[in-house]
Amino acid sequence: MTIYCLEEFKVQFDKLNSKKSYNNLEQEIIDYFFDKSYIDLCSGVRLNNSEDTPYIKKRLSGRGGFRVYFLLIIKKENVYLMFVHPKTGSDGSENITDESKAFLYKKVLSCIKTNDLYYLVLNDNKNKLIFKKT
Amino acid sequence: MMECLAHKSEIADTFSSVRSFSYLEKKSPIMDHEKMNAFLDSLIDFKHSLKEKTKTIISFNERIEKITWYNDLDEECYMLINDLISAIKDLHSSLIRQYISMNHLRQKGIVKEEIRYFKDSIDNLKENYQDLESVFFFLPKMPDFKETTKQLSLV
Repeated sequence: MTIYCLEEFKVQFDKLNSKKSYNNLEQEIIDYFFDKSYIDLCSGVRLNNSEDTPYIKKRLSGRGGFRVYFLLIIKKENVYLMFVHPKTGSDGSENITDESKAFLYKKVLSCIKTNDLYYLVLNDNKNKLIFKKT
Repeated sequence: MMECLAHKSEIADTFSSVRSFSYLEKKSPIMDHEKMNAFLDSLIDFKHSLKEKTKTIISFNERIEKITWYNDLDEECYMLINDLISAIKDLHSSLIRQYISMNHLRQKGIVKEEIRYFKDSIDNLKENYQDLESVFFFLPKMPDFKETTKQLSLV
């Protein structure tokens, strides 16, 4: 699968990744999304009742942990990371509102159309994310 | 002389009290093996039942998430999901009450880890019924949301 992300995801990722209490986020993202087939990624809560382009909310990292929102476009084998938030800690929140879910959904469609995305790859040691503007 | 006799009697009384208590303590100490074992057994039983309860809630959480992947649901399915949401809300409020009743144990650090996992599982249960409501009843009613799904299918 090819992995992309929205600006919203990158901003939030950079903010969390700079904090010690969330320093497992990067590895969690790498472990869950890289070198996976779309079948591996079809779990969690599907928000949009779509078989071909599921919009998914996934819990990562067991206790408390993170919530990642992403879209799969199965026929293209693309993943679009849309947003991430921790459940606990100083930046933690229980959930995001339905309006925010709808906003991100609309935003990802617009960014796919205009190709306003980041392309995600790993460094040589496969332990760091590199964001490249498309 | 009288004073000395009074002291002697007081010392003898003290000695007698200490001796009696010492004898009783040897015979039946508060923390004797039987009582200690019974206490530890009940603690182990409590830990075990809490772990089992947490496992059941985790399995419910997994089953609830899977429902969001079902396609072609009819009106009856939606009614069942609505009933399920109510049942989960009811279950959640019972479990939260149970969690609160464990406060004194948690504060003393007794079965702390098990109580923490129990709380996580009930927090996830709450998140799951909120997600079910969003997925089946709230998000589909948002015009932009439906339109986006339609447009994404054409990308």
